[in-house]
Amino acid sequence: MDIGELKKQSDLSYDIAIAKRNALEKATSRMIVVYDEHIFCADPETINLVKNLMEVHTSSFYILDSNKNPVEISDPSKFLQVLVQRNQEAISSYHQMSKTFEKKND
Amino acid sequence: MTKGVLLFCFDTADTKYHSILERCVRLVKKNLKLPITVVTNFKTFKKMKPMGFINYKFIEPESGNTKLGKEWNNVDRHMAYELSPYDSTLVMDIDYFCFTDNLAQFLDTDYDFLVPDTAYDLTGRNTFDQRRWSMIPMVWATVLVFKKNHKVRKIFETVKYIKQYYSYFTDMYRVYSKNLRNDYLFAMALQQINGFTGYNKLPLALPTLPPDCEVVKITDNGLAWKYRDQISYVEDQDVHVLNKEMANV
Repeated sequence: MDIGELKKQSDLSYDIAIAKRNALEKATSRMIVVYDEHIFCADPETINLVKNLMEVHTSSFYILDSNKNPVEISDPSKFLQVLVQRNQEAISSYHQMSKTFEKKND
Repeated sequence: MTKGVLLFCFDTADTKYHSILERCVRLVKKNLKLPITVVTNFKTFKKMKPMGFINYKFIEPESGNTKLGKEWNNVDRHMAYELSPYDSTLVMDIDYFCFTDNLAQFLDTDYDFLVPDTAYDLTGRNTFDQRRWSMIPMVWATVLVFKKNHKVRKIFETVKYIKQYYSYFTDMYRVYSKNLRNDYLFAMALQQINGFTGYNKLPLALPTLPPDCEVVKITDNGLAWKYRDQISYVEDQDVHVLNKEMANV
């Protein structure tokens, strides 16, 4: 590999890294969801917490929103559904972008 | 309860802000699907193309502020409370392009006032780390969400007070830039009115293109920019564009 080819490859890798970073940020933004007038992040931590709390408190429970304010979740199943749906929408879009990055690197 | 978007737009000698507004309005209508009120002056209004049903409020912008030596009519944001006809308002800079519906949901919270405190540099250089530029954590007044009530009225009254004595407050907080920036104005007001404790924030890092990026193409789904000799693009992601030359794209 000559220096020109190395520079070309390095530039391509840089472009892909930035695009991937932006795609991840886009997914992170999309995971922010408003439910019952409060803001949550539909990330694995929140989903796991809700899923675990549902096993013990089937009717309702309390969690903290994105500003650390307490919220009563009176319909846990519906809340979990909203979180999972938004999480998968965001990650699925990131996954599609990821595939295009792989092709660029071929 | 009524809700809508409030935009401020004033042309300057150097920048055709009405062109930027036209793109912004199209995206708000397409993605946020909310009523829009534009605060402008007759001089700017006359240059705007028809944009469908929009509510207009006419004021003469307060002059005197500059950015990089150019006229910068940004000091009327403190009047957003009085100018908004909505119970719940999303105030946005017109150079914030909504390629998603992400912001719409924040009008349906029980929070009185929300503002983000983080910007995300789309070029990967982390150029918006502002800690060394003042002794107060900055907020990004690019996007504000507020309800009309007694508490929020007091926040805006504090903003007006700090604006009146801005040079004193910039000295006190050791803000590096001496021109008036809404980001610092609101950061100071929120800190003062909240008794120097924390306050609720929009948990978003505003995706932002630094001023040294030249926007080369804008579509209904995203935009492409040039930084040095590289072209990059984003789609279906909101973008705050700091280079006002995009008015000519």
